[in-house]
Amino acid sequence: MEDIVLKNVSKDFGAFTAVDEVNLTIKSGELFSFLGPSGCGKTTLLRMIAGFETPTQGTIQLGNEDITNLPPYKREVNTIFQNYSLFPHMTLFDNVAFGLRIKKTPKAEIKDRVQETLSLVKMDDQANKYPDQISGGQKQRIAIARALINKPRVLLLDEPLAALDLKLRQHMLIELMNIHDAVGITFIYVTHDQGEAMSISDRLAVMNLGKIVQEGPPDDIYERPSSIFSAYFIGETNFISGEVKAVHEDYLEMSCDDGAGHSFELDSCFQAAPEIGSRVTFSLRPEKIAISRNKPRHQEDINMIKGQIEDILYLGSHTQYIVRVGKLKFRVFSQHKRVYFDDKALDWEEKVWLFWHDSDTWMIESDALEMLTEAQMAESGQFSRALKRRGT
Amino acid sequence: MRAKSRHSTSEKRNNFSSWLLSLPAMLWLLCFFLIPYLIVIIYSFLTPDIYDVKFEFSLDAYRQVFTGGYLRPFFLSFKLAIYTTLCCLLLGFPVAYYIARAKEKLKNTLLIFIIIPFWTNLIIRIFSWRIFLAYGGVLNGFLMNMGLISQPLEILRTDLAVILVMVYVYLPYMILPLYSVLEKLDFTLLNAAMDLGANEVKAFFRITLPLAVEGIFAGTLLVFIPALGAYLIPQLVGNQRSLYVGQVITYKIKNIPRNWPMASALSLTLLLLVALMLLFMFFLYKRRLARRRIS
Repeated sequence: MEDIVLKNVSKDFGAFTAVDEVNLTIKSGELFSFLGPSGCGKTTLLRMIAGFETPTQGTIQLGNEDITNLPPYKREVNTIFQNYSLFPHMTLFDNVAFGLRIKKTPKAEIKDRVQETLSLVKMDDQANKYPDQISGGQKQRIAIARALINKPRVLLLDEPLAALDLKLRQHMLIELMNIHDAVGITFIYVTHDQGEAMSISDRLAVMNLGKIVQEGPPDDIYERPSSIFSAYFIGETNFISGEVKAVHEDYLEMSCDDGAGHSFELDSCFQAAPEIGSRVTFSLRPEKIAISRNKPRHQEDINMIKGQIEDILYLGSHTQYIVRVGKLKFRVFSQHKRVYFDDKALDWEEKVWLFWHDSDTWMIESDALEMLTEAQMAESGQFSRALKRRGT
Repeated sequence: MRAKSRHSTSEKRNNFSSWLLSLPAMLWLLCFFLIPYLIVIIYSFLTPDIYDVKFEFSLDAYRQVFTGGYLRPFFLSFKLAIYTTLCCLLLGFPVAYYIARAKEKLKNTLLIFIIIPFWTNLIIRIFSWRIFLAYGGVLNGFLMNMGLISQPLEILRTDLAVILVMVYVYLPYMILPLYSVLEKLDFTLLNAAMDLGANEVKAFFRITLPLAVEGIFAGTLLVFIPALGAYLIPQLVGNQRSLYVGQVITYKIKNIPRNWPMASALSLTLLLLVALMLLFMFFLYKRRLARRRIS
């Protein structure tokens, strides 16, 4: 069953198009995220579902009902605001009771339901405090209680953890998932933090420049990005471009230029077979690459290239190596496992082999280039070089 | 307790220097505020003479305040102050709200417009109103030319004219404190209220109004108290049939035989009423604060 159906929804602010013809169906009980950089239209989309903005075009359905033009107070939808927006002149009890009082619920029922909801978020012992007397995490819980007590069909969360510090964020994330499981309603979660979106969502939509770039379960989007933008925005990646030499049943062979007059061969998997001779771009996640000073024993389905270490960044849980191959730079993540006791730590300027499984080289469909802004391109050096070469 | 012992000598030194710095102002207030008030209090218990007072103790002045037909001026003054305050509040709130929500640039321009009237002397502004409202004045001329009325309206020298000009003069004193609280109001709270089922009206009464209470308090005080003692405006645009307390007090000093004790007693009665009102509002405010501190 679907809870929220967006049909062809657009929103213009003057000449600026914040949301551009979005079509989307969110299933009942799902935890769905909108993920994208600031200004990508995710918050505007959320505000349209909440009723604070009216779409310039398109319709929004809640279940079977068209809610496009309903005011916020007539929608069975509640929102957790970015800064919680607790009412400062009311106790926590009164904050949570607000929705019920507006609906003129009997007093005894209000008391029971507020207590019940406060205990759901573990705040039942602080009902008489005021918002300025509690911590950020506690405000978050009250905001959740204040929304959930109205038994909405859909709960909207607008960057709910952005104001919290890292440890608390991780803690609240788990708590949010538990609450979602406990109440069983649809959650729509908006964030620019890919870690949050990946860990919490059943499905997510990656947004950029007002459009949905890709939609699917987190692992699908991470492992099989459909566009350069989703590969770039979620996690880190290496972009390589090359020319298709041969197309086989389950992989393709290609030749890549290293920018210094040499070329190397790679195998890759693909979704739709490209034409032989065409130029395509690949995404290769840094953690998929193994790095070693010894040449690996040759295997059929392994890609390997030789390079030189340019930089080593120790990051605690792993080390990031920047490896130069001709004029290309590869980012490689390597965890510190002392399995191979004979391994001496790699050093600057050392010649190394990079190798990875064929299927980890992921070909990106080619029509996604226009989705990037200049600033996004500039963020990754190799990325923009890869794009420039593709353009020719 | 702990805090007390930690700042000992430096705190004391600080206290002393701030006391020293406030000394000139204290002396000023003592000489030109407290001592004159003491004189007023003493005068109110003396016996009137044609030009001055006789130093004989008397309670006649106070007796007359309550029995000598002075209740009407008090009543009129209170009525005027209440009407003025209410009109200022009702007219000022939407203006303050609009300015508070306006974009930064427009906001500053609008605030300047609120302040501009202060650049012109009050008496000149009141005389302008007289020209505007007079029998053969601008307003009547305009209405006659438009054919809306056949005879000029008697507006000047009526109670309506007094309220009109009072509201005009005191409106900025209401708008500015209201603006300062509304400007700090987080308007996403209204979104939150609407999200939770409150329509615009309910959101206003449950969120905006309670959060603007301090501005309403401040604005009310700033308008009500001066309005209660209004003299200039009733004198210049009002009529002699409705005399306000401020006017009565002035006449007692101006007209011969003078009655200083009567003027003093009336002033002090007015002061007492204002003080009582202030205490009451202060009490309301304190209770609000105390309620917030229970937990």
